Amino acid sequence: MDIALSPVRSARRVAPALAVILIILTLVVAWELIKLMFNLDKRTLPHLWEIAEAFGQPSRRNGPPLISVLIEAALYTLRGALLGFFIGAALGFVLGTLFAHLPLLERSLVPYVVASQTVPILAIAPMVVIWLRGSWWSVPVIAAYLTFFPVTINTLRGMRSPDPRAVELMGSYAASTWQTLWKLRFPSALPAIFTALKIAATASVVGAIIAELPSGVQQGLGGAILNFNQYYITGPERLWAAIFMAALVGILLFVAVSAIERIVLRNIVRGA
Amino acid sequence: MITGALRFQRYAPPLIVFFAVIVLWEVLVDLLNIQRFLLPAPSVILEAFFRTFSTIMSSAAYTIRSAVIGFLIGAGTGILVALATARWTTIREGLMPFAIALNSVPIIAFAPIMNNWFGSTNPMSKIMIVAIITFFPMMINMVRGLTLVEPAKLELMHSYATAPFEVLTKVRIPNSLPYLFNALKVCSTLALIGAIVGEYFGGPRESLGVYILQEAQLFRFDNAWAAIIISALLGIAFYLIILAAERVAIPWHVSVEKR
Repeated sequence: MDIALSPVRSARRVAPALAVILIILTLVVAWELIKLMFNLDKRTLPHLWEIAEAFGQPSRRNGPPLISVLIEAALYTLRGALLGFFIGAALGFVLGTLFAHLPLLERSLVPYVVASQTVPILAIAPMVVIWLRGSWWSVPVIAAYLTFFPVTINTLRGMRSPDPRAVELMGSYAASTWQTLWKLRFPSALPAIFTALKIAATASVVGAIIAELPSGVQQGLGGAILNFNQYYITGPERLWAAIFMAALVGILLFVAVSAIERIVLRNIVRGA
Repeated sequence: MITGALRFQRYAPPLIVFFAVIVLWEVLVDLLNIQRFLLPAPSVILEAFFRTFSTIMSSAAYTIRSAVIGFLIGAGTGILVALATARWTTIREGLMPFAIALNSVPIIAFAPIMNNWFGSTNPMSKIMIVAIITFFPMMINMVRGLTLVEPAKLELMHSYATAPFEVLTKVRIPNSLPYLFNALKVCSTLALIGAIVGEYFGGPRESLGVYILQEAQLFRFDNAWAAIIISALLGIAFYLIILAAERVAIPWHVSVEKR
């Protein structure tokens, strides 16, 4: 069965990959065409190769090449984002599990969990920075603030998702709440939790970059974007390079979580 | 029917929490002698709000306008692109991984570019960043809603020899509505974040992002907090409008009933 399906499967896997390459090529061509057609200067839209070149050149006189500066900044931001991601995911998981078991708590607090996310985070960021006395911790805290929400909501939904008959069956075997949680609710919540973690991965990077803006943290991508923004007129390609690096970090974290999701969910399905 | 008792059960707990937090906040600020720059008491913030009412309101009007216009452009384009790709499987399968990848890009990083393109005091720079930030979640959710249809329904339509356009209007679009509203909720939040981040990189003086930042830098924290709370309320209001629209549009949907 597996062998008979495999050519079809690999073809289905190759076609999207080809399409993605095609889309990237189209975008590259479109970028340069737009530049050519509207006769845009370097300040508006640098050539892609100018951006690529900028990665190799030093960002300051006699400094290291931009690419190593940006990689360092990316790692710095990634550290804050990851820490925030883990704190936020853990908090979200605990809150979601509590809400799933305590309806009164759910009714009293979930409206505020929802409201917390409608608050534009950059508006509070300066205050968080002041609260934490401008320390680096404002970065993971703000990243965690953006990540805990999807995890809370999806954990709550996922924990409620098992068939009521399955819950009753556990009850009739005299399984404790704890056992029902780990043997039934948690495994059936996993797909929803991973969906949330993928959203959270992106949100944590956004949160880390936003947090770096008002906190005066210079070493991360947010700082780099602010810095190169000031020199946009003389070197627009450096700002573009920083943006590409930020995009890369976001995509990488998302891909990493997706890969973990695939491994974990496959094992769960096999185990069942 | 929602009876009085049920309504009380639903709304009482969050309201109790709300008033408890406000009272506790006021009392603790007073008792612990928390300095004003750390956290002003609610009464101080309220006072600042009335004092600076006209400035805050005109700043809020500017920000909400860019957020709403950008939201309409971004979400609208997202829906149109999703409708277009729902028909062509190949395009969709190529486009989707790409859109998902782009959705994980911190779009806010583009805010300074938009300011450079359109000029930081030109509302267009904020509208564009909001449009880009809302486009991807809308498109991805909408494509899912249009394609994750029960196969049995499609087979039934097929067996009736229904025209593809009718399959779209009778099956796919109704199926996509819950996804549409979920995306709208996500986008409503993102729209305000996008507009304020755009303002952070430079904007007119009378806009929430610039105002909050300026007041905080001038140590007028009561004013900053009043504006922060207004921006929070705006976010909540935006979200509630969509929630209300969802209830009107798809009263049959389970997640609406459960709430």
